Amino acid sequence: MKHFKTLVEKECIEEIISPRGAALYLVGCGVLSVFSLLLVSNTELSLLDNAQAVYMMSSIIIAIALLIAVIRGSDGFAGERERETLETLLITPVSPAEVAIAKLMGLIFSWLVLFIISIPYLWAVGSTGQNLNSALQYLFISGTLLVVIFGGFTLAISARMRTFKGTMSIGLTAFLLSGSPILLGPSLRQSTVGRFIDLLNPFANALNMLDSVIVDSLGVLFQITPLVILISYTVAAMWILSMTTRRVEL
Amino acid sequence: MKVINVKSLKKSFSGKKVLEDTSMAVSQGDIYGFLGPNGSGKTTTLRILLGILFPDGGKVDVLKMDPSVDGELLRQRINILPESHGFYGWMRAEEYLRFFGQLYGLQLTSADSNKHLEQVGLDPADRRPIRTFSRGMKQRLGIARSLLNDPEILFLDEPTNGLDPKGRRKIHDLLLKLNREREMTVVISTHILDDVERLCNRIAILHNSKIQYEGPLFTPQIEKSIRYQFHLADDKNISYTWNFPGFSCQEKKGQWVTCEIKDIHPDKALSLLVQKGIPITEAIQVNGGLESMYLKLTAQGKE
Repeated sequence: MKHFKTLVEKECIEEIISPRGAALYLVGCGVLSVFSLLLVSNTELSLLDNAQAVYMMSSIIIAIALLIAVIRGSDGFAGERERETLETLLITPVSPAEVAIAKLMGLIFSWLVLFIISIPYLWAVGSTGQNLNSALQYLFISGTLLVVIFGGFTLAISARMRTFKGTMSIGLTAFLLSGSPILLGPSLRQSTVGRFIDLLNPFANALNMLDSVIVDSLGVLFQITPLVILISYTVAAMWILSMTTRRVEL
Repeated sequence: MKVINVKSLKKSFSGKKVLEDTSMAVSQGDIYGFLGPNGSGKTTTLRILLGILFPDGGKVDVLKMDPSVDGELLRQRINILPESHGFYGWMRAEEYLRFFGQLYGLQLTSADSNKHLEQVGLDPADRRPIRTFSRGMKQRLGIARSLLNDPEILFLDEPTNGLDPKGRRKIHDLLLKLNREREMTVVISTHILDDVERLCNRIAILHNSKIQYEGPLFTPQIEKSIRYQFHLADDKNISYTWNFPGFSCQEKKGQWVTCEIKDIHPDKALSLLVQKGIPITEAIQVNGGLESMYLKLTAQGKE
Protein backbone atom coordinates (compact mmCIF):
# COMPACT_ATOMS: atom_id res chain seq x y z
CA MET A 1 0.00 0.00 0.00
CA LYS A 2 3.03 2.30 -0.41
CA HIS A 3 1.57 3.88 -3.54
CA PHE A 4 -1.80 4.42 -1.94
CA LYS A 5 -1.43 8.17 -1.25
CA THR A 6 -0.19 8.92 -4.78
CA LEU A 7 -3.02 6.94 -6.38
CA VAL A 8 -5.72 8.42 -4.13
CA GLU A 9 -4.46 11.95 -4.85
CA LYS A 10 -4.63 11.29 -8.59
CA GLU A 11 -8.15 9.86 -8.32
CA CYS A 12 -9.40 12.80 -6.22
CA ILE A 13 -7.88 15.41 -8.54
CA GLU A 14 -9.33 13.57 -11.54
CA GLU A 15 -12.77 13.59 -9.88
CA ILE A 16 -12.70 17.39 -9.79
CA ILE A 17 -10.58 18.38 -12.80
CA SER A 18 -11.70 15.91 -15.46
CA PRO A 19 -14.56 17.18 -17.68
CA ARG A 20 -16.57 14.05 -16.80
CA GLY A 21 -16.28 14.62 -13.03
CA ALA A 22 -17.01 18.34 -13.21
CA ALA A 23 -20.03 17.75 -15.51
CA LEU A 24 -21.54 15.30 -13.01
CA TYR A 25 -21.24 17.83 -10.17
CA LEU A 26 -22.83 20.52 -12.32
CA VAL A 27 -25.75 18.24 -13.20
CA GLY A 28 -26.08 17.35 -9.50
CA CYS A 29 -26.14 21.03 -8.52
CA GLY A 30 -28.72 21.75 -11.21
CA VAL A 31 -31.04 18.97 -9.99
CA LEU A 32 -30.68 20.04 -6.34
CA SER A 33 -31.35 23.68 -7.25
CA VAL A 34 -34.54 22.79 -9.14
CA PHE A 35 -35.87 20.58 -6.34
CA SER A 36 -35.05 22.99 -3.52
CA LEU A 37 -36.62 25.84 -5.48
CA LEU A 38 -39.76 23.76 -5.99
CA LEU A 39 -39.89 22.82 -2.31
CA VAL A 40 -39.78 26.44 -1.16
CA SER A 41 -41.75 28.11 -3.95
CA ASN A 42 -44.27 25.62 -5.34
CA THR A 43 -47.68 26.18 -3.75
CA GLU A 44 -48.39 22.53 -2.96
CA LEU A 45 -44.84 21.43 -2.12
CA SER A 46 -44.23 24.41 0.14
CA LEU A 47 -47.11 23.17 2.29
CA LEU A 48 -45.17 20.01 3.09
CA ASP A 49 -44.04 19.50 6.64
CA ASN A 50 -40.47 20.79 7.13
CA ALA A 51 -39.20 17.31 8.01
CA GLN A 52 -40.88 15.84 4.91
CA ALA A 53 -39.10 18.40 2.73
CA VAL A 54 -35.71 17.55 4.29
CA TYR A 55 -36.41 13.82 3.81
CA MET A 56 -37.32 14.39 0.17
CA MET A 57 -34.14 16.40 -0.45
CA SER A 58 -32.02 13.77 1.36
CA SER A 59 -33.49 11.02 -0.84
CA ILE A 60 -32.68 13.03 -3.97
CA ILE A 61 -29.11 13.67 -2.73
CA ILE A 62 -28.62 9.93 -2.12
CA ALA A 63 -30.02 9.09 -5.57
CA ILE A 64 -27.63 11.58 -7.22
CA ALA A 65 -24.69 10.25 -5.17
CA LEU A 66 -25.46 6.68 -6.23
CA LEU A 67 -25.83 7.69 -9.86
CA ILE A 68 -22.42 9.39 -9.75
CA ALA A 69 -20.91 6.36 -7.93
CA VAL A 70 -22.28 3.97 -10.57
CA ILE A 71 -21.09 6.11 -13.50
CA ARG A 72 -17.65 6.83 -12.02
CA GLY A 73 -17.30 3.24 -10.75
CA SER A 74 -18.06 1.89 -14.24
CA ASP A 75 -15.39 4.20 -15.59
CA GLY A 76 -12.89 2.97 -12.97
CA PHE A 77 -11.18 0.10 -14.78
CA ALA A 78 -13.22 -0.24 -18.00
CA GLY A 79 -12.94 3.48 -18.85
CA GLU A 80 -9.20 3.49 -18.20
CA ARG A 81 -8.92 0.33 -20.28
CA GLU A 82 -10.74 2.05 -23.16
CA ARG A 83 -8.60 5.20 -22.87
CA GLU A 84 -5.51 2.93 -22.76
CA THR A 85 -4.31 4.45 -19.49
CA LEU A 86 -4.83 1.25 -17.48
CA GLU A 87 -1.81 -0.37 -19.12
CA THR A 88 0.53 2.49 -18.12
CA LEU A 89 -0.76 2.16 -14.55
CA LEU A 90 -0.43 -1.61 -14.35
CA ILE A 91 3.10 -1.66 -15.79
CA THR A 92 4.30 0.15 -12.65
CA PRO A 93 4.97 -1.75 -9.39
CA VAL A 94 1.35 -1.17 -8.35
CA SER A 95 -1.07 -4.00 -7.63
CA PRO A 96 -4.56 -3.93 -9.16
CA ALA A 97 -5.99 -4.11 -5.63
CA GLU A 98 -4.22 -0.85 -4.73
CA VAL A 99 -5.65 0.78 -7.84
CA ALA A 100 -9.14 -0.50 -6.93
CA ILE A 101 -8.98 0.81 -3.35
CA ALA A 102 -7.68 4.18 -4.58
CA LYS A 103 -10.55 4.36 -7.06
CA LEU A 104 -13.02 3.54 -4.31
CA MET A 105 -11.49 6.35 -2.22
CA GLY A 106 -11.98 8.63 -5.22
CA LEU A 107 -15.69 7.71 -5.25
CA ILE A 108 -15.96 8.43 -1.52
CA PHE A 109 -14.21 11.77 -2.07
CA SER A 110 -16.69 12.51 -4.84
CA TRP A 111 -19.54 11.76 -2.40
CA LEU A 112 -17.97 14.05 0.23
CA VAL A 113 -17.86 16.90 -2.29
CA LEU A 114 -21.52 16.30 -3.18
CA PHE A 115 -22.42 16.10 0.53
CA ILE A 116 -20.75 19.47 1.20
CA ILE A 117 -22.45 20.98 -1.87
CA SER A 118 -25.83 19.67 -0.65
CA ILE A 119 -25.65 21.21 2.87
CA PRO A 120 -26.84 24.69 1.78
CA TYR A 121 -29.72 23.11 -0.16
CA LEU A 122 -30.81 21.10 2.90
CA TRP A 123 -30.47 24.20 5.04
CA ALA A 124 -32.59 26.18 2.56
CA VAL A 125 -35.50 23.72 2.78
CA GLY A 126 -35.15 22.63 6.41
CA SER A 127 -33.47 25.34 8.48
CA THR A 128 -36.63 26.01 10.46
CA GLY A 129 -37.16 22.33 11.34
CA GLN A 130 -35.78 20.41 14.32
CA ASN A 131 -34.16 17.35 12.70
CA LEU A 132 -31.72 19.00 10.30
CA ASN A 133 -28.60 17.97 12.30
CA SER A 134 -29.77 14.35 12.58
CA ALA A 135 -30.65 14.41 8.88
CA LEU A 136 -27.13 15.53 8.02
CA GLN A 137 -25.52 12.88 10.26
CA TYR A 138 -27.59 9.99 8.92
CA LEU A 139 -27.36 11.25 5.35
CA PHE A 140 -23.58 11.21 5.69
CA ILE A 141 -23.49 7.70 7.19
CA SER A 142 -26.00 6.08 4.85
CA GLY A 143 -24.65 7.93 1.79
CA THR A 144 -21.07 6.81 2.50
CA LEU A 145 -22.11 3.17 2.98
CA LEU A 146 -24.27 3.18 -0.16
CA VAL A 147 -21.50 4.77 -2.24
CA VAL A 148 -19.09 2.02 -1.09
CA ILE A 149 -21.71 -0.66 -1.86
CA PHE A 150 -22.71 0.55 -5.32
CA GLY A 151 -19.30 2.00 -6.20
CA GLY A 152 -17.48 -1.15 -5.07
CA PHE A 153 -19.90 -3.37 -6.98
CA THR A 154 -19.55 -1.41 -10.25
CA LEU A 155 -15.76 -1.18 -9.82
CA ALA A 156 -15.67 -4.97 -9.48
CA ILE A 157 -17.66 -5.39 -12.71
CA SER A 158 -15.51 -2.75 -14.36
CA ALA A 159 -12.35 -4.74 -13.52
CA ARG A 160 -13.70 -7.72 -15.45
CA MET A 161 -15.52 -6.07 -18.35
CA ARG A 162 -13.97 -4.59 -21.48
CA THR A 163 -16.23 -1.58 -22.02
CA PHE A 164 -17.43 1.37 -19.97
CA LYS A 165 -20.88 1.21 -21.60
CA GLY A 166 -21.33 -2.48 -20.77
CA THR A 167 -20.30 -1.94 -17.15
CA MET A 168 -22.53 1.11 -16.79
CA SER A 169 -25.52 -0.78 -18.21
CA ILE A 170 -25.15 -3.45 -15.51
CA GLY A 171 -24.52 -0.85 -12.77
CA LEU A 172 -27.51 1.28 -13.74
CA THR A 173 -29.74 -1.80 -14.00
CA ALA A 174 -28.73 -2.82 -10.46
CA PHE A 175 -29.35 0.74 -9.28
CA LEU A 176 -32.80 0.90 -10.90
CA LEU A 177 -33.74 -2.55 -9.58
CA SER A 178 -32.79 -1.52 -6.07
CA GLY A 179 -34.78 1.69 -6.46
CA SER A 180 -37.86 0.13 -8.06
CA PRO A 181 -39.51 -1.34 -4.88
CA ILE A 182 -39.80 2.22 -3.60
CA LEU A 183 -42.22 2.82 -6.43
CA LEU A 184 -44.56 0.14 -5.04
CA GLY A 185 -47.64 1.57 -3.34
CA PRO A 186 -47.61 2.04 0.47
CA SER A 187 -49.99 -0.93 1.03
CA LEU A 188 -47.78 -3.25 -1.03
CA ARG A 189 -44.67 -2.09 0.80
CA GLN A 190 -46.37 -2.81 4.12
CA SER A 191 -47.16 -6.40 3.07
CA THR A 192 -44.87 -9.28 4.10
CA VAL A 193 -43.36 -9.52 0.63
CA GLY A 194 -42.87 -5.76 0.49
CA ARG A 195 -41.20 -5.68 3.90
CA PHE A 196 -38.94 -8.59 2.91
CA ILE A 197 -37.86 -6.84 -0.31
CA ASP A 198 -37.24 -3.63 1.63
CA LEU A 199 -35.16 -5.53 4.18
CA LEU A 200 -32.93 -7.02 1.46
CA ASN A 201 -32.59 -3.80 -0.46
CA PRO A 202 -29.73 -1.52 0.71
CA PHE A 203 -31.20 1.55 -0.99
CA ALA A 204 -34.60 1.03 0.67
CA ASN A 205 -32.91 0.42 4.03
CA ALA A 206 -31.09 3.74 3.77
CA LEU A 207 -34.27 5.62 2.83
CA ASN A 208 -36.29 3.93 5.58
CA MET A 209 -33.58 4.88 8.07
CA LEU A 210 -33.65 8.53 6.93
CA ASP A 211 -37.47 8.48 7.10
CA SER A 212 -37.50 7.18 10.67
CA VAL A 213 -34.83 9.69 11.78
CA ILE A 214 -36.07 12.79 9.97
CA VAL A 215 -39.85 12.34 9.79
CA ASP A 216 -40.58 10.04 12.76
CA SER A 217 -37.76 11.42 14.97
CA LEU A 218 -36.84 7.90 16.17
CA GLY A 219 -33.59 7.34 18.04
CA VAL A 220 -30.44 5.39 17.26
CA LEU A 221 -31.78 2.07 18.63
CA PHE A 222 -34.32 1.94 15.82
CA GLN A 223 -31.57 2.36 13.25
CA ILE A 224 -29.51 -0.68 14.25
CA THR A 225 -31.18 -3.16 11.87
CA PRO A 226 -30.86 -1.02 8.71
CA LEU A 227 -27.32 -0.06 9.72
CA VAL A 228 -26.30 -3.71 10.18
CA ILE A 229 -27.79 -4.56 6.78
CA LEU A 230 -25.98 -1.66 5.12
CA ILE A 231 -22.68 -2.60 6.79
CA SER A 232 -23.13 -6.24 5.70
CA TYR A 233 -23.59 -5.12 2.11
CA THR A 234 -20.54 -2.87 2.45
CA VAL A 235 -18.40 -5.80 3.64
CA ALA A 236 -19.76 -7.96 0.80
CA ALA A 237 -18.99 -5.25 -1.79
CA MET A 238 -15.42 -4.89 -0.47
CA TRP A 239 -14.94 -8.66 -0.57
CA ILE A 240 -16.24 -8.91 -4.15
CA LEU A 241 -13.97 -6.00 -5.15
CA SER A 242 -10.90 -7.60 -3.57
CA MET A 243 -11.63 -10.95 -5.26
CA THR A 244 -12.15 -9.47 -8.74
CA THR A 245 -9.08 -7.24 -8.58
CA ARG A 246 -6.61 -9.89 -7.45
CA ARG A 247 -5.69 -10.27 -11.09
CA VAL A 248 -6.68 -7.62 -13.60
CA GLU A 249 -5.77 -8.35 -17.19
CA LEU A 250 -5.78 -5.84 -19.99
CA MET B 1 24.01 -13.87 -18.26
CA LYS B 2 20.45 -14.53 -19.43
CA VAL B 3 18.07 -11.90 -18.14
CA ILE B 4 15.01 -13.22 -19.98
CA ASN B 5 14.36 -16.90 -20.47
CA VAL B 6 11.12 -18.08 -22.01
CA LYS B 7 10.39 -21.74 -22.62
CA SER B 8 7.36 -23.27 -24.38
CA LEU B 9 5.13 -20.26 -23.66
CA LYS B 10 1.45 -20.75 -24.42
CA LYS B 11 -1.38 -18.24 -24.47
CA SER B 12 -4.87 -18.37 -25.98
CA PHE B 13 -7.68 -15.82 -26.10
CA SER B 14 -11.19 -17.29 -26.31
CA GLY B 15 -9.79 -20.56 -27.66
CA LYS B 16 -7.64 -18.85 -30.29
CA LYS B 17 -3.99 -19.75 -29.87
CA VAL B 18 -1.81 -16.66 -29.91
CA LEU B 19 1.38 -18.18 -28.54
CA GLU B 20 2.26 -21.83 -28.86
CA ASP B 21 5.55 -23.30 -27.76
CA THR B 22 7.28 -19.92 -27.91
CA SER B 23 10.84 -19.89 -26.57
CA MET B 24 13.41 -17.10 -26.46
CA ALA B 25 16.39 -15.95 -24.44
CA VAL B 26 17.85 -12.47 -23.99
CA SER B 27 21.26 -11.84 -22.47
CA GLN B 28 22.24 -8.87 -20.35
CA GLY B 29 23.28 -5.93 -22.52
CA ASP B 30 21.50 -7.18 -25.63
CA ILE B 31 19.48 -4.92 -27.84
CA TYR B 32 16.96 -7.50 -28.90
CA GLY B 33 14.67 -7.00 -31.86
CA PHE B 34 11.31 -8.71 -31.56
CA LEU B 35 9.72 -8.90 -35.00
CA GLY B 36 6.53 -10.30 -36.41
CA PRO B 37 3.44 -9.37 -38.41
CA ASN B 38 0.43 -7.64 -36.82
CA GLY B 39 -1.37 -9.96 -34.44
CA SER B 40 1.51 -12.40 -34.21
CA GLY B 41 1.62 -12.14 -30.40
CA LYS B 42 4.50 -9.70 -29.81
CA THR B 43 2.54 -7.42 -27.48
CA THR B 44 1.04 -10.45 -25.72
CA THR B 45 4.55 -11.80 -25.11
CA LEU B 46 5.75 -8.45 -23.74
CA ARG B 47 2.73 -8.20 -21.43
CA ILE B 48 3.42 -11.71 -20.12
CA LEU B 49 7.07 -10.77 -19.51
CA LEU B 50 5.87 -7.79 -17.46
CA GLY B 51 3.42 -9.86 -15.43
CA ILE B 52 0.31 -7.96 -16.53
CA LEU B 53 -0.97 -10.91 -18.56
CA PHE B 54 -0.84 -14.49 -17.38
CA PRO B 55 0.31 -17.39 -19.57
CA ASP B 56 -1.63 -20.62 -20.06
CA GLY B 57 1.54 -22.68 -19.97
CA GLY B 58 5.31 -22.65 -20.26
CA LYS B 59 8.06 -21.14 -18.14
CA VAL B 60 8.90 -17.45 -17.98
CA ASP B 61 11.93 -16.12 -16.14
CA VAL B 62 12.80 -12.43 -16.10
CA LEU B 63 15.72 -11.32 -13.91
CA LYS B 64 15.37 -14.70 -12.18
CA MET B 65 11.77 -13.93 -11.23
CA ASP B 66 8.45 -15.34 -12.41
CA PRO B 67 6.42 -12.32 -13.62
CA SER B 68 3.10 -14.02 -12.76
CA VAL B 69 4.20 -14.38 -9.13
CA ASP B 70 6.63 -11.51 -8.47
CA GLY B 71 5.15 -9.01 -10.92
CA GLU B 72 5.24 -5.99 -8.60
CA LEU B 73 8.82 -6.63 -7.48
CA LEU B 74 9.90 -7.23 -11.05
CA ARG B 75 8.23 -4.09 -12.42
CA GLN B 76 10.30 -2.03 -9.98
CA ARG B 77 13.38 -3.11 -11.97
CA ILE B 78 12.05 -3.10 -15.53
CA ASN B 79 9.92 -0.78 -17.62
CA ILE B 80 8.07 -0.61 -20.92
CA LEU B 81 6.94 1.88 -23.48
CA PRO B 82 3.63 0.34 -24.51
CA GLU B 83 2.28 0.65 -28.02
CA SER B 84 -0.94 2.21 -26.75
CA HIS B 85 -0.95 5.96 -26.19
CA GLY B 86 -2.77 6.22 -22.91
CA PHE B 87 -1.97 9.45 -21.15
CA TYR B 88 -3.80 11.39 -18.47
CA GLY B 89 -4.64 14.30 -20.74
CA TRP B 90 -5.33 16.72 -17.90
CA MET B 91 -1.80 16.38 -16.48
CA ARG B 92 1.18 18.44 -17.62
CA ALA B 93 4.34 16.61 -18.71
CA GLU B 94 6.16 17.42 -15.46
CA GLU B 95 3.18 16.32 -13.33
CA TYR B 96 2.93 13.13 -15.36
CA LEU B 97 6.57 12.23 -14.71
CA ARG B 98 6.27 13.15 -11.03
CA PHE B 99 3.16 10.97 -10.65
CA PHE B 100 4.80 7.93 -12.23
CA GLY B 101 8.04 8.66 -10.38
CA GLN B 102 6.14 8.40 -7.10
CA LEU B 103 4.75 5.02 -8.16
CA TYR B 104 8.39 3.88 -8.49
CA GLY B 105 9.16 5.37 -5.06
CA LEU B 106 11.00 8.38 -6.53
CA GLN B 107 10.45 11.95 -5.38
CA LEU B 108 11.32 13.85 -8.54
CA THR B 109 12.29 17.49 -8.22
CA SER B 110 11.57 19.98 -11.01
CA ALA B 111 15.22 19.67 -12.06
CA ASP B 112 14.89 15.88 -12.30
CA SER B 113 11.74 16.12 -14.42
CA ASN B 114 13.36 18.72 -16.67
CA LYS B 115 16.36 16.47 -17.16
CA HIS B 116 14.12 13.57 -18.18
CA LEU B 117 12.14 15.77 -20.57
CA GLU B 118 15.25 17.27 -22.15
CA GLN B 119 16.73 13.79 -22.58
CA VAL B 120 13.96 12.92 -25.05
CA GLY B 121 13.86 16.32 -26.72
CA LEU B 122 10.82 17.82 -24.97
CA ASP B 123 10.78 21.41 -23.78
CA PRO B 124 10.49 21.52 -19.97
CA ALA B 125 9.04 25.03 -20.21
CA ASP B 126 6.02 23.65 -22.11
CA ARG B 127 3.22 23.91 -19.53
CA ARG B 128 0.39 22.73 -21.77
CA PRO B 129 -1.74 19.74 -20.71
CA ILE B 130 -0.73 16.46 -22.36
CA ARG B 131 -4.01 16.26 -24.32
CA THR B 132 -2.71 19.11 -26.52
CA PHE B 133 0.52 17.24 -27.37
CA SER B 134 1.16 15.80 -30.84
CA ARG B 135 1.57 12.04 -31.26
CA GLY B 136 5.34 12.40 -31.52
CA MET B 137 5.51 14.49 -28.34
CA LYS B 138 3.42 11.90 -26.49
CA GLN B 139 5.76 9.19 -27.75
CA ARG B 140 8.76 11.11 -26.39
CA LEU B 141 7.00 11.63 -23.06
CA GLY B 142 6.24 7.91 -22.95
CA ILE B 143 9.92 7.15 -23.48
CA ALA B 144 10.86 9.59 -20.69
CA ARG B 145 8.36 7.80 -18.39
CA SER B 146 9.79 4.41 -19.29
CA LEU B 147 13.28 5.54 -18.25
CA LEU B 148 12.22 6.99 -14.88
CA ASN B 149 13.23 4.02 -12.76
CA ASP B 150 16.51 3.44 -14.63
CA PRO B 151 15.32 -0.04 -15.67
CA GLU B 152 17.61 -3.03 -16.01
CA ILE B 153 15.46 -4.19 -18.91
CA LEU B 154 13.60 -1.75 -21.11
CA PHE B 155 10.82 -3.06 -23.34
CA LEU B 156 9.78 -0.85 -26.22
CA ASP B 157 6.67 -1.58 -28.26
CA GLU B 158 6.94 0.31 -31.56
CA PRO B 159 9.13 3.05 -30.03
CA THR B 160 9.63 5.22 -33.10
CA ASN B 161 5.96 5.31 -34.16
CA GLY B 162 4.95 8.87 -34.91
CA LEU B 163 8.45 10.30 -34.63
CA ASP B 164 10.02 12.45 -37.34
CA PRO B 165 13.45 11.36 -38.69
CA LYS B 166 15.25 13.73 -36.31
CA GLY B 167 13.26 12.41 -33.35
CA ARG B 168 13.91 8.83 -34.44
CA ARG B 169 17.64 9.46 -34.62
CA LYS B 170 17.59 11.08 -31.16
CA ILE B 171 15.82 8.07 -29.67
CA HIS B 172 18.22 5.68 -31.44
CA ASP B 173 21.20 7.58 -30.02
CA LEU B 174 19.64 7.62 -26.54
CA LEU B 175 19.00 3.87 -26.57
CA LEU B 176 22.51 3.10 -27.81
CA LYS B 177 23.96 5.38 -25.13
CA LEU B 178 21.90 3.75 -22.36
CA ASN B 179 22.88 0.32 -23.61
CA ARG B 180 26.55 1.26 -23.81
CA GLU B 181 26.90 3.26 -20.59
CA ARG B 182 24.51 1.45 -18.24
CA GLU B 183 24.51 -1.94 -19.94
CA MET B 184 20.74 -1.64 -20.14
CA THR B 185 19.08 -4.58 -21.90
CA VAL B 186 16.61 -3.34 -24.50
CA VAL B 187 13.86 -5.41 -26.13
CA ILE B 188 12.31 -3.68 -29.13
CA SER B 189 9.12 -4.87 -30.74
CA THR B 190 8.78 -3.12 -34.07
CA HIS B 191 7.84 -3.32 -37.72
CA ILE B 192 10.48 -0.81 -38.73
CA LEU B 193 13.33 -3.03 -39.89
CA ASP B 194 15.63 -0.06 -40.27
CA ASP B 195 15.36 0.50 -36.48
CA VAL B 196 16.28 -3.14 -35.90
CA GLU B 197 19.23 -3.04 -38.28
CA ARG B 198 20.49 0.16 -36.71
CA LEU B 199 20.09 -0.89 -33.07
CA CYS B 200 19.82 -4.62 -32.48
CA ASN B 201 22.46 -7.28 -32.07
CA ARG B 202 19.99 -10.16 -31.74
CA ILE B 203 16.53 -10.73 -33.16
CA ALA B 204 13.56 -13.05 -32.94
CA ILE B 205 10.88 -13.37 -35.60
CA LEU B 206 7.48 -14.47 -34.32
CA HIS B 207 4.94 -15.87 -36.75
CA ASN B 208 2.14 -18.43 -36.64
CA SER B 209 2.33 -18.38 -32.80
CA LYS B 210 5.94 -19.62 -32.87
CA ILE B 211 9.43 -18.17 -33.00
CA GLN B 212 10.60 -18.76 -36.57
CA TYR B 213 14.11 -17.43 -36.06
CA GLU B 214 16.11 -16.41 -33.04
CA GLY B 215 19.73 -15.43 -33.13
CA PRO B 216 22.25 -12.76 -34.03
CA LEU B 217 21.13 -10.10 -36.49
CA PHE B 218 23.98 -10.83 -38.91
CA THR B 219 24.31 -14.54 -39.37
CA PRO B 220 25.16 -16.42 -42.56
CA GLN B 221 21.42 -17.00 -42.93
CA ILE B 222 20.92 -13.28 -43.41
CA GLU B 223 24.23 -12.27 -44.90
CA LYS B 224 24.17 -14.76 -47.75
CA SER B 225 21.43 -12.84 -49.43
CA ILE B 226 22.66 -9.25 -49.01
CA ARG B 227 23.31 -7.49 -52.27
CA TYR B 228 24.62 -3.96 -52.48
CA GLN B 229 25.06 -1.51 -55.32
CA PHE B 230 27.98 0.87 -54.93
CA HIS B 231 28.18 4.09 -56.88
CA LEU B 232 31.74 5.04 -57.80
CA ALA B 233 32.98 8.57 -58.29
CA ASP B 234 34.81 7.67 -61.48
CA ASP B 235 34.35 4.50 -63.62
CA LYS B 236 37.40 4.72 -65.84
CA ASN B 237 40.36 3.46 -63.88
CA ILE B 238 38.80 1.48 -61.07
CA SER B 239 38.63 -2.26 -61.14
CA TYR B 240 35.47 -3.69 -59.65
CA THR B 241 36.85 -7.17 -59.11
CA TRP B 242 37.64 -6.39 -55.52
CA ASN B 243 39.52 -9.17 -53.93
CA PHE B 244 38.50 -8.65 -50.32
CA PRO B 245 37.24 -11.34 -48.02
CA GLY B 246 33.48 -11.25 -47.90
CA PHE B 247 33.00 -9.57 -51.29
CA SER B 248 31.74 -11.05 -54.48
CA CYS B 249 31.18 -8.43 -57.16
CA GLN B 250 29.09 -9.56 -60.08
CA GLU B 251 28.60 -6.76 -62.53
CA LYS B 252 29.37 -3.17 -63.35
CA LYS B 253 26.99 -0.90 -65.18
CA GLY B 254 28.29 2.60 -65.71
CA GLN B 255 29.40 3.85 -62.33
CA TRP B 256 27.35 1.24 -60.41
CA VAL B 257 28.95 -1.97 -59.16
CA THR B 258 26.75 -4.75 -57.76
CA CYS B 259 28.31 -6.90 -55.03
CA GLU B 260 27.26 -9.67 -52.68
CA ILE B 261 28.52 -9.26 -49.17
CA LYS B 262 29.14 -12.34 -47.07
CA ASP B 263 30.15 -13.00 -43.50
CA ILE B 264 30.77 -9.37 -42.55
CA HIS B 265 28.54 -6.57 -41.41
CA PRO B 266 27.63 -4.25 -44.33
CA ASP B 267 28.85 -1.20 -42.37
CA LYS B 268 32.23 -2.90 -41.94
CA ALA B 269 32.32 -3.81 -45.64
CA LEU B 270 31.69 -0.22 -46.59
CA SER B 271 34.40 1.14 -44.32
CA LEU B 272 36.80 -1.48 -45.76
CA LEU B 273 36.18 -0.17 -49.28
CA VAL B 274 36.69 3.41 -48.16
CA GLN B 275 39.93 2.41 -46.40
CA LYS B 276 41.15 0.83 -49.64
CA GLY B 277 40.67 4.17 -51.36
CA ILE B 278 37.75 3.16 -53.55
CA PRO B 279 35.81 6.35 -54.22
CA ILE B 280 32.30 5.30 -53.22
CA THR B 281 29.72 8.06 -53.27
CA GLU B 282 26.62 5.98 -52.52
CA ALA B 283 25.71 2.49 -51.31
CA ILE B 284 22.25 0.98 -51.80
CA GLN B 285 21.04 -2.33 -50.47
CA VAL B 286 19.39 -4.00 -53.45
CA ASN B 287 17.86 -7.05 -51.84
CA GLY B 288 18.44 -9.57 -49.15
CA GLY B 289 19.26 -8.81 -45.57
CA LEU B 290 16.77 -8.69 -42.77
CA GLU B 291 13.86 -7.62 -44.94
CA SER B 292 14.10 -10.56 -47.30
CA MET B 293 14.56 -12.97 -44.40
CA TYR B 294 11.59 -11.46 -42.57
CA LEU B 295 9.36 -11.67 -45.64
CA LYS B 296 10.45 -15.24 -46.30
CA LEU B 297 9.82 -16.39 -42.73
CA THR B 298 6.46 -14.67 -42.43
CA ALA B 299 5.19 -15.56 -45.91
CA GLN B 300 3.40 -18.76 -44.97
CA GLY B 301 0.33 -19.25 -42.84
CA LYS B 302 -1.90 -16.66 -41.27
CA GLU B 303 -1.24 -12.96 -41.57
